[in-house]
Amino acid sequence: MYCVKCGVRLTDGAAACPLCRTPVRDPDGAEAAPAAPTYPERYPAPPKTRRYPILAFLTALLLAVSLSAMIYCLTNLHAVSWSGYVMLACALVYFALLFPFWFEKREPLIFVPIGFGLTCGYLLYICLYTGGSWFLSFAFPVTMLAGLLTTASVLLFRFGKRRRLLKIGVLLTVIGLSNMLIEFFLCITFDTRMFAWSLYPVCSFSLVGLVLILCCTIPGWRAYLEKKLFL
Amino acid sequence: MGKNWMRLDNAALIFPAISHTRWSNVFRVSATLTEPVDPALLQRAAADLMPRFPSMYVRLKTGVFWHYLEALPAPPQVREDFAFPLTLMQKKELKTCCIRVIYFKNRIAVEFFHSLTDGTGGIIYLKTLTARYLHLKYGADVPAEEGVLDLNEAPLPEELEDSFPRFSNGVALDDRETDALRLRGTREPNFLHLTTGIVPAGALKAAAHRYGVTVTVFLTAVMAESILAYQTERCPERRRRKPVRITVPINLRRIYGSKTLRNFALTLNPGVDPRMGDYDLGELCSVIAAQLNAEATPQRMAGRIAANVNPQNISLIRAVPLPVKSFIMRLIYNRRGESKGCINVSNLGVIRVPEAMAPFVRRMEFIIGTQRSYPNNCSVATFGDETYINMIRNIREPELERRFFSRLVELNVPVAVETNSN
Repeated sequence: MYCVKCGVRLTDGAAACPLCRTPVRDPDGAEAAPAAPTYPERYPAPPKTRRYPILAFLTALLLAVSLSAMIYCLTNLHAVSWSGYVMLACALVYFALLFPFWFEKREPLIFVPIGFGLTCGYLLYICLYTGGSWFLSFAFPVTMLAGLLTTASVLLFRFGKRRRLLKIGVLLTVIGLSNMLIEFFLCITFDTRMFAWSLYPVCSFSLVGLVLILCCTIPGWRAYLEKKLFL
Repeated sequence: MGKNWMRLDNAALIFPAISHTRWSNVFRVSATLTEPVDPALLQRAAADLMPRFPSMYVRLKTGVFWHYLEALPAPPQVREDFAFPLTLMQKKELKTCCIRVIYFKNRIAVEFFHSLTDGTGGIIYLKTLTARYLHLKYGADVPAEEGVLDLNEAPLPEELEDSFPRFSNGVALDDRETDALRLRGTREPNFLHLTTGIVPAGALKAAAHRYGVTVTVFLTAVMAESILAYQTERCPERRRRKPVRITVPINLRRIYGSKTLRNFALTLNPGVDPRMGDYDLGELCSVIAAQLNAEATPQRMAGRIAANVNPQNISLIRAVPLPVKSFIMRLIYNRRGESKGCINVSNLGVIRVPEAMAPFVRRMEFIIGTQRSYPNNCSVATFGDETYINMIRNIREPELERRFFSRLVELNVPVAVETNSN
């Protein structure tokens, strides 16, 4: 039998053309016996990923560290004391670095914000435990800013691989400018001087970012730089 | 081999570096006999070949600075075929054995990790294995000709040599190319679709001669035309289209007369840039023939060999620990290797067997696996009056196959298709 659409000869008894999926109308119909398959229907097992034992081991390790810290503090110091830091740090490491690997598909747009949210929680604990007042005016906005920037870069590079240089340029400029914001939060929380250091990273990052943006937008710049700087 | 290990040849170095859990570079050669295969006799035949082919019965081991191939203590166990050819060779398997001897009904197949040999070496092994099997089963006395090796002889040193350094001219050829179009589709994580197009060799040759080119150039041009049409449909704006290049392996034994059984092939990337304008098949044939003729000369190929061999001769690079070296090789490969072509069209040419063997063998084929980054691949071999065009893919859509084979039909080359996927 031949496929009426793409003209190739098909194996006897084929129900449809394997190339264009056109159903076969065989006038001999049921008389045509299907041809013997060219390969057995035996499937090899897909490659096993060996990360689960490693993950289990690392989880157990973190659990052991936090438990032993807590037991030490409770028996010797009769209070939670510094073991709180250790336990929460272990939890943070677990959720930020290990937890996503239990899943087949790791969606960074979910796990990255969760990681930064947990960092915020950890810092809040430290702030409350030490009786500080720096969380709301410094730690929270800075962590949120870092989380926002990281999530934005994940978004930028995950969807659409075009114009990567331009994206890097924009990102570097924004990172540069965010240094000024960090200094502002430092300033209002710890009464430090404004513009003491932030101008340096702002200038250098923005300069590099601007050059990259120009390279992408002005035709000829990129070719010229490539010609002059190739390795 | 003398000692029980050997260095990887120059082309083989890249394959362990770039293989990962879900992919390794494997290819298959197979012979379909007239009667069902006896696994016990095939096992004996495989064992009998062991002294003659020391470079094939090896496993991949890791040294501090390089990978190396270590002789197997015993021949590999023959096994039954899977639902799809070229089942992945995981690193764990490569550490125990780099070759698989497989049977299914009438078919004997051998799968090689590419670090051992290339298609030409593989087919010599398969012919010798089949000849030995036929001797054990039917008492057929197959003479050592047409690529069948004499099992009573000791392996020749030139069969085991790495021919690349011998034919390098020391002047590295710079062939910087832009990235080619990347074909895409819905990935099938655990299945490889194989579509075999069986075409009469005479009709294919006649079609190629109508355009005044060889079969390899003709098939490469038809493939380029199919990919160009594929791209035109998806990207109507001409300015945004990408170059279409086909990776064509060149058998260097034909150029330099080497007898090595290890890797001795290099690839060229002939193709066109669709931004310059449309090409018809006649123009594609002449452009691709001109590009291949200009590049596949002993002088230019020696320069290409030098580009690969020269870094290996620098002591500082040799002294870099293997993991670092592998990482760097992977980076270079991603940047300069696969990204320059859209698909492989690997033509092994006409496979001839000794007359005493011919009545027992119905068909011989050559299948290459998918590449690390692109989804389709194509391998071609001619046996008897038929040419077997094997197109393999790890995506669901058979679009390129459909375009390619129906174009051949349009060009008066009748195609019969077989597939493992239904």
